[in-house]
Amino acid sequence: MSISTLFENYSEFRHRHPDGDVPHNPYKWAMAIDLDACSGCNACSVACYAENNLPVVGKEKFAHGQAMHWMRIERYWDQDGREFPDRGARYLPMLCQQCEAAPCETVCPVGATNHTPDGLNSQIYNRCIGSRYCSSNCPYKVRYFNWYDYPTTDNVWPAEMNMQLNPDVTVRSKGVMEKCTFCIQRIRGAEIDAKTQGRLVRDDGELQTACQQACPTSAISFGNLVDPESKVHKQWRAQQVDLDKHEQVKDEEEGGTDLRGYRIYEFLAPYPSIMYLERVRESEI
Amino acid sequence: MKDIREDIAWAQINKDVLKSLENPRKLYWVILFIAIAMVGVAVGCEVYQYNVGLGVGNFDNPHMWGLYIATFIFWIGMSHSGTLLSAILHLMHADWRKPIYRFAEAMTTFSLMTAGLFVAVHLGRIWQIYFALPYPNMRQVWPNFQSPLLWDAMAIFTYLSSSILFLYIGMIPDLAICRDNMHSGWRRKLYTALALGWEGTDRQWRNFRMTYLTIACFLIPLAVSVHSIVASDFGMSQQPGWHITSFPPYFVAGALYSGCAAIITLFIILRYVFKFEEYMTMPILKKIVRLTFAISMVWTYLVWVEYATAWFGHNPHDQHLLLEKATGTYAPFWWMMNFCASVVPLILVFKRFQTNIPVLFAVSLLLNLGMWLERWMIVAPTFADGYYPWTWDHNQWPSLVQWGIVFGSFGWFTMLFMIFCKIFPSVSMYEVKEMVYHRSLATKKLQATGELAAAGKGAH
Amino acid sequence: MSKRHLLALFTDFDAAEKVVTELRNLGIKGFNAEKDMIVKSPIEHPEVEEFLGDRPVRVQWFTLFGAVGMGALMFLLISASQGNFFAQMKGGKPIVPFPPNFVLTYELFILGGVYITVLGFLICAGLPARRSPLYSAKVSEDQIGILVQADESASGTLKSIFTKHRALEIQEEAGK
Repeated sequence: MSISTLFENYSEFRHRHPDGDVPHNPYKWAMAIDLDACSGCNACSVACYAENNLPVVGKEKFAHGQAMHWMRIERYWDQDGREFPDRGARYLPMLCQQCEAAPCETVCPVGATNHTPDGLNSQIYNRCIGSRYCSSNCPYKVRYFNWYDYPTTDNVWPAEMNMQLNPDVTVRSKGVMEKCTFCIQRIRGAEIDAKTQGRLVRDDGELQTACQQACPTSAISFGNLVDPESKVHKQWRAQQVDLDKHEQVKDEEEGGTDLRGYRIYEFLAPYPSIMYLERVRESEI
Repeated sequence: MKDIREDIAWAQINKDVLKSLENPRKLYWVILFIAIAMVGVAVGCEVYQYNVGLGVGNFDNPHMWGLYIATFIFWIGMSHSGTLLSAILHLMHADWRKPIYRFAEAMTTFSLMTAGLFVAVHLGRIWQIYFALPYPNMRQVWPNFQSPLLWDAMAIFTYLSSSILFLYIGMIPDLAICRDNMHSGWRRKLYTALALGWEGTDRQWRNFRMTYLTIACFLIPLAVSVHSIVASDFGMSQQPGWHITSFPPYFVAGALYSGCAAIITLFIILRYVFKFEEYMTMPILKKIVRLTFAISMVWTYLVWVEYATAWFGHNPHDQHLLLEKATGTYAPFWWMMNFCASVVPLILVFKRFQTNIPVLFAVSLLLNLGMWLERWMIVAPTFADGYYPWTWDHNQWPSLVQWGIVFGSFGWFTMLFMIFCKIFPSVSMYEVKEMVYHRSLATKKLQATGELAAAGKGAH
Repeated sequence: MSKRHLLALFTDFDAAEKVVTELRNLGIKGFNAEKDMIVKSPIEHPEVEEFLGDRPVRVQWFTLFGAVGMGALMFLLISASQGNFFAQMKGGKPIVPFPPNFVLTYELFILGGVYITVLGFLICAGLPARRSPLYSAKVSEDQIGILVQADESASGTLKSIFTKHRALEIQEEAGK
């Protein structure tokens, strides 16, 4: 039976992705983050903690690098010997880039992380055995490991706080890897609603990720990249960033090289699904 | 310098080797006791880690892997020279391997077993380890065959089981000897069962020779593939310092190197503990030492190839990492590794040190210290200075739990090895007989043609 | 007619060779030199085969079929199980990717080769074996044994040949 499945679907089993491949249809979830709008307020990170039942590990473990912030705000400073280096801070909201050809997926010995038909990088907690190879191979280091059994650890969710846990999301036990899912519980909910109503998910705020929803400056936009009407699609197009290229040519129009849109570590060819818009500065601050 | 006497009586060989199964020196029990105590430390650490979680090892993001993976590679590497001695030298008809290959082969088996433990210890959910096994199940869920870790598992399983079979097949004639000489107790039952009714008939020997040769031929490419696959855990990733084309041969050379050094260490210990002075002779030790020196220079060359590729390859990430290794947090260990593994072996050039047991014992331990550090220096710095700037400047030191398990693994290996040597003949009796038989034949031939005086000491 | 077993022990291979050659050339009635004679030795000695006559080794055929068969079978099974495994893409690579499957096939080729060779060894060498009717621990030490099976009528002749070549010891037992 297995072997007949192999031969029947052989060409499907042999095709590669995403270069030269058809885009995901009808959904390809993607994001655009405008760093010019980001004020580094961390609201997205807090929203993520609330939405996805992230354990609050406490000061000590946080300092140790064991924090579980799926969405983290990184701070960078110019090191040019200026008088007040703190004033030049730049912020970078970093989350799983949901790569189309994710380095983490191939290396998992048990196949706990996969590419979904709607273009996400999924993580199966029940399947994970904790070899941590995915994180080792992740260029962005956005995968977080449950070093301890947080649900049973004191002060992670102190009494009453456990009442705010999101029932749509599992609480992870020790020894499994986890990471940003683009709020998959919301995505699936919206997709199923749309399907029962015989339509596609609308781009009118019907589906928002928690970080997007919480961002006070609307720096984050999220949506269906294959829908030409969606905001994300329009942003990607305007910046001439293509999903299936590991080097953006940007010569479709005049001045393309001045565009702000870029993806992080494109040269490693993971084809990330998040486009960042570079910060604009008038002068040295 | 005395080599094995060509005119030694075959019955004497049996007697001497069988004696090692009965009454070793007192040091044997001291070593065994220390080894078991070390295992106790590791078991304690593992129980603690199992109950509390991997965080007790002081791992964090980005330092996902630590001493466990480094020591895993170390033990896999140790296993390779058993195959070198037993298989490659067998095909090359190097008869000096015969008195020492049995314990080298046992070393292969037990270091693989130790390495296998690290795969388990390293996992976050050790109790789900069977997810990584390809077994048919109703859900049709299989492991991910694309993952180098799975290749590792497959390669190690193949290597371990083939090594055990090779060790066992090669031991059958000796087990028959033990059976014939032990007259009571559980040991006799054990040997009788394991000897499979071997009587040394022509039919048995004929098929034995073909089988032994065939498995030896299989083991050589297998050993090379095992460490290349371990190298592809790193080579097939995308990280700076890991994604290096020369890793497979570099790992294989390193494996042979640390294995040869370990053979020297164990040679010296066994020789004393089991009173094998008659069989594990100085000329043999000298040959292993020279082999080790040659391999150490191969390794030194390959490690410089690695540095040169990183430096000259003009990849800023690789260059940055190399600089960090030489000047950053890990610098003392990195320099110590280069010193121990590339400079210390130069001592072996001098003829008088090639048979000096105290010097060799110290040098062999230093070489393996260097090789262990080398594995650590492959694994850890990449996490500290990888691609992503956010992960830089974040230092981490393995906790005592990690060190304890690494420490205990040496005890585990020593324990298994010492128990093996007490229960099974660690010098191959029938092959030593073959060796002296063929040497004496060669000598006789020379005497007959009157060339003995011209040719010197005789064969080999 | 009832058969008798005789085991004679000799000091070295040269003596054994002479005995075997003589037994093969004489053609004693009631004794088939090709089938009823077994040489037991403490070490492996290729010359034994030369003077015993051509007795083939067939282990290598097991090796061939074991290695090639296991390799091919496993390549197919791995590919098939990949087709069944969620059939979900990983890292943009094909669901049935060749490089990993070749690596695994290589390992399983060796695994099959080694296992089936050992199986072939056990079959060809007849192990595990019941102990033969006559055995001396001296054979595993330093002496060469020749075990023959012959009709009672021939046993006298055989014994005299053994004695002629200075057998160290001759054991005799009535067979089944």
